[in-house]
Amino acid sequence: MALREFKLPDPGEGLTEADLVTWHVAVGDTVKVNDIVVEVETAKSLVELPVPFAGTVASLHAAEGDTVDVGSVIITIDDGVGGSSDAAAPAPAAAAPPAAAVPPATPAAAPASDGGAAGEEIAEGLIGGTTSTGRTAVLVGYGVKQTEAKRRPRAGGASPTVPESTNRSPEVQPLSGERTRALAKPPVRKLAKDLGLDLAVITPTGEGGIVTRADVEAAAASATGAPASAQESSDAAPAASRWGRPTASGHREERIPVKGVRKMTAQAMVASAFTAPHVTEWVTVDVTATMELVERLKADREFRDVKVTPLLVLAKAMCVAVRRNPGINASWDEAAQEIVVKHYVNLGIAAATPRGLLVPNIKDADAMTMRELADAIGTLTATAREGRTQPADMSGGTITITNVGVFGIDAGTPILNPGESAILAFGTVSRRPWVVTAADGSESIEPRWVTTLALSFDHRLVDGELGSRYLADVAALLGDPGRALVWG
Amino acid sequence: MSPGATKPTTIAKGITSGLRAAMERDPKVVLMGEDIGKLGGVFRVTEGLQKDFGEERVIDTPLAEAGILGTAIGMALRGYRPVIEIQFDGFVYPAFDHIVSQVAKLHARSLGYVKMPLVIRIPFGGGIGAVEHHSESNEAYFAHTAGLRVVAVSNPHDAHWMIQQAIETDDPVVFYEPKRRYWDKGEVGDGPSGDLSSARVLREGTDVTLLAYGPMVKTCLQAAEAAAEEGHNLEVIDLRSLSPLDEDTILASARKTGRVVVVHEASTFLGMGSEISALVTERAFHHLEAPVLRVGGYNVPYPPSRIEEEFLPDLDRVLDAVDRSLAY
Repeated sequence: MALREFKLPDPGEGLTEADLVTWHVAVGDTVKVNDIVVEVETAKSLVELPVPFAGTVASLHAAEGDTVDVGSVIITIDDGVGGSSDAAAPAPAAAAPPAAAVPPATPAAAPASDGGAAGEEIAEGLIGGTTSTGRTAVLVGYGVKQTEAKRRPRAGGASPTVPESTNRSPEVQPLSGERTRALAKPPVRKLAKDLGLDLAVITPTGEGGIVTRADVEAAAASATGAPASAQESSDAAPAASRWGRPTASGHREERIPVKGVRKMTAQAMVASAFTAPHVTEWVTVDVTATMELVERLKADREFRDVKVTPLLVLAKAMCVAVRRNPGINASWDEAAQEIVVKHYVNLGIAAATPRGLLVPNIKDADAMTMRELADAIGTLTATAREGRTQPADMSGGTITITNVGVFGIDAGTPILNPGESAILAFGTVSRRPWVVTAADGSESIEPRWVTTLALSFDHRLVDGELGSRYLADVAALLGDPGRALVWG
Repeated sequence: MSPGATKPTTIAKGITSGLRAAMERDPKVVLMGEDIGKLGGVFRVTEGLQKDFGEERVIDTPLAEAGILGTAIGMALRGYRPVIEIQFDGFVYPAFDHIVSQVAKLHARSLGYVKMPLVIRIPFGGGIGAVEHHSESNEAYFAHTAGLRVVAVSNPHDAHWMIQQAIETDDPVVFYEPKRRYWDKGEVGDGPSGDLSSARVLREGTDVTLLAYGPMVKTCLQAAEAAAEEGHNLEVIDLRSLSPLDEDTILASARKTGRVVVVHEASTFLGMGSEISALVTERAFHHLEAPVLRVGGYNVPYPPSRIEEEFLPDLDRVLDAVDRSLAY
């Protein structure tokens, strides 16, 4: 048999003692776990205490009306189990001490984690002592749980060596945008800078295109023609140039094979520039009304979920102006010696993509509502940005916009997309001073939204008059989008 | 030095002996707080002091933190060195105005004429299974306020010595005590480990720097042990002073390892880790092999105790961050 002692716990009010009010059991009674055995009164409340053991009541250590210290034994239970290992058994002695408070028993076993044997142990149940659940008792709360000093097993097994790079960091994900700054961590950037190397031309080997320290060191070694460690002893290594910088191939100059989109672009530009005699005309126009329209459309339910930009209004204006000047939307058939006038508009939009310059076009843009046009532009730019533009998307264009304004450029002299006879450069839209004439004829200078349009056209089939009319019409539509109702 | 200071003791008893030493040395040191006298404090940190020093030096106050601080400010103005116990972290807010508007500013407002040598002791942090208001980590509020020193102790040695340093300095000090570590044992040595503004390298390492304070120091030391078994050599620094920060120690370690993980129980959002991350990024940028990572609580109110273990950073969360840092 084993005698188990139940000590008066801290009833959770921070008090050190309690008055014993009523015993609910007597010696010889049988109790189950959590049976209420006693009622005690603290300065704050009456508390019924459950017993944490089952068995037979062996003895009561206090009488009703006694004041008992927290931590002293109040009842002993015989749990009927033989050969107890713990409880250094004050058994016989504890048989029936008088009702006066019994000094707290020494805890049966100090917590295993206690390396350093403090001067005085705190009794079980007292603040700082242990609780029945093995925690450290506190005044408010279930107590302090000892934390694990071991790492839990990880899914996939512990890997003592960590992979060289990670894809957990969002910034390491391959970038789909047009900006392609070299990826490297700060000390590697510093190393490259100190070595006079441009990170952008070093071939990255890290996951996600990261330039590693090893990459920089390899580049430095190849730049000097020898491993860095061999520099001092190697007379054969090419000397640094008189600028004191690496001279081997690939750093002061870089040779890139001409292929793919670059090759196609070059051929098309040469063919266009040297077969079609280009004329470029310019017009600067107050597009404040267009900007206001854009703001209105952004708030329009019809245009929710789609990007509304000045480019959209220009695209529409191009289509409307083509209807008034069909000769601009044509091509020169050298072989047949014919001019082909197109009664549809496949509106090309030049796009800078990861693959290079591409000019996909929107088929039958003139037949589209503004909302359809907005959707088509959105799809076209998204597809181009993702590098998924197909050859069919780029063939059959009839007239093109090049939106150089996004780079902050006023305008330029664009080169025709081969097979077309006009291309419009859309300059940046910015606030500029503008002479505004009021209804009464008085003039003032006001800040307005102003842009420059530049139209290049093929002078073989488009005369200056037609080109000028077309450009003037587009400008008029941007200056007053309401014109589209008149001309549309 | 109090007798017995070289024997093993606990953080709680280290503070008790430190308070006792300060009170013996200077009769102007006065303790005030809720239940600190007769009861000895809810964590028994002031146990026995009222019996030995009397009710006029160990004062049981009403449950009114604003009143306690207001009284302490007046006493400090008249040359006393009040040491206040805020019973639990979450109870300090009624006194917040006094602390940030008066305690922090009187010295500057008076052009240095007035000193505010008071200490505000706050048991902080969770992990004791308590109800709300009893497990918070509000150190960033005070660290953000210029004019206050904010320190946190993590072991009995610092508990014993830093409470005395805090009482001795003429600056107001918010003194954080890691309540769930109160009964952790350790040796108390012969003198303080450094001045009150200094951090302390507890474990030297080369691979990753762990920065922690208060209750998370032990977690980080355990994490470093576990990491050593995996072949990673972690440096563990106990910040000790949260304001001012020991920038030299932090930056030297960051430059050495190139990888820094800051650990605290407070939520990472605008916590101490955010400031330290910015500091290290600004001043040790070219030494950083990985971004400074923060391990801390989530940006939610402290949760009910049944799920607090999911909220509190533990050894595994620290080591996961170490792995993330090493993966760069």
